[in-house]
Amino acid sequence: MGLDDIGVHVVHGGGNGNGRALLNEVARLLEKLLQTGEGGSIDLAGMPLSGEDYDLLDDVLGEGEVHAEVTALGATEVIEAGVPGVWWITHYNAAEEVMAEFIEVAFCPEILQSPPEDVKEGLEALRARLLEEHLSG
Amino acid sequence: MSRDESLLEFLKQRGITRRGFLKFCAATASLMALPPSMAQGVAAALAQARRPSVIWLSFQECTGCTEALTRSHAPSIEDLIFEAISLDYHHTLQAASGQGAERAREQAMREFHGRYLLLVDGSIPVKDGGVYSTIAGMSNLDMLREAAQGAAAVVSIGTCAAYGGLPHAAPNPTGAAAVADIITDRPVVNIPGCPPIPTVITGVLAHYLTFGRLPELDALGRPKVFYGDTIHDRCYRRPFYDQGKFAHSFDDEGARNGWCLYELGCKGPTTYNACATTKWNAGTSFPIQSGHGCIGCSEPNFWDAGGLYKPLSTPYAGVGPAAAGAIAAGAVTGAAISLHNRRKRTRARAEHQRATVKDLEK
Repeated sequence: MGLDDIGVHVVHGGGNGNGRALLNEVARLLEKLLQTGEGGSIDLAGMPLSGEDYDLLDDVLGEGEVHAEVTALGATEVIEAGVPGVWWITHYNAAEEVMAEFIEVAFCPEILQSPPEDVKEGLEALRARLLEEHLSG
Repeated sequence: MSRDESLLEFLKQRGITRRGFLKFCAATASLMALPPSMAQGVAAALAQARRPSVIWLSFQECTGCTEALTRSHAPSIEDLIFEAISLDYHHTLQAASGQGAERAREQAMREFHGRYLLLVDGSIPVKDGGVYSTIAGMSNLDMLREAAQGAAAVVSIGTCAAYGGLPHAAPNPTGAAAVADIITDRPVVNIPGCPPIPTVITGVLAHYLTFGRLPELDALGRPKVFYGDTIHDRCYRRPFYDQGKFAHSFDDEGARNGWCLYELGCKGPTTYNACATTKWNAGTSFPIQSGHGCIGCSEPNFWDAGGLYKPLSTPYAGVGPAAAGAIAAGAVTGAAISLHNRRKRTRARAEHQRATVKDLEK
């Protein structure tokens, strides 16, 4: 028998207003993104959010077209919200427990972009491989 | 990880990529309650951070603080931060025992004099020359004084080390004292809680690793970033307090509706800690979310601050002359208390609604 099988009826007493405050902050970050090209990130651990607040965020922001998963130090789930430019970022550890959760406002979340140092190292590796192929061929 | 290795090099060796490192830094910034925009700064600082030597001394304690840290979800951010330090002495965790263990402590103290972090859990008995707790024939008092001499800073982990805690509770038979009562010539940071939130412990260590100094402290020596607000300030049930909606017993309608637990003795309004936001067990919940009021375990003298289930508004006379007076009043007082208790029981019975398994399955 799992937790879901226990017949407990949870009564929600209403949100605490923080969900609405966060949505306003998201709107301000979107304005900034459009004006300056720079968005921002909100750490959801910093605010006391009730179930209703999360429901409100889910309802208003919705779900968009992109759903990506990054595998680095455990999984990171990247979900585009129904409001373009708004992304849900959830970092999990290897035991699939949530390490941190953010709403990021950006054209493309930072975690999806290849770090320039990695691109540089990748280019060097590719050139070395081409040279190797050339020598052996 | 060798002592000369940077944290980034150490993580790379463990197969962690730059993306993984960025994620690590984002989670670390969150852990330190820094704004997400600081993650890049944290990444730059942590990439260069060197591994500090740490000596952990356990005195009059229950090992709950160590348990809280080591049993936190792993592999985790706490895990990595904890591995990023060189824990040179911890008598519960280290493999060495007896003289070998003490030699490891003495060697670390010599080698890293002036640079190591000294972590302490448990209070220090000072009565009768500190005879009530000794390690390897040395009193806790002497061991603390000796180890603190070469420490860059001292971190008091848990309410016992920070304020005396349970051993300090009246009548305090061992003369239990806090670290800061004894060590006055070194920076001391208090991380109270019984136990403290594991992520707060590692958050302070991460802050030291990142910035090379301790975080800003409040008047009671606590990092403001974690202890700046009361539980009440950050409680998701706070709106019910403002609306005057309270649970009056643990099984009444108010309790079922998740209303404020103030009348059931919640100490949230006077307790400074991060439980309401950081939460416990990988961010799953905290006592109030589970239906029990905060007991104020991170505050000084919480054991002696009246009943855990009495509202904060209840006057507390303490165990002393007032109690003695009540005893002297004898049978009359006893009868009055008994009558009061009977009334309380009757009221509780009236408010109690029995639930059957059938009801719960509805």
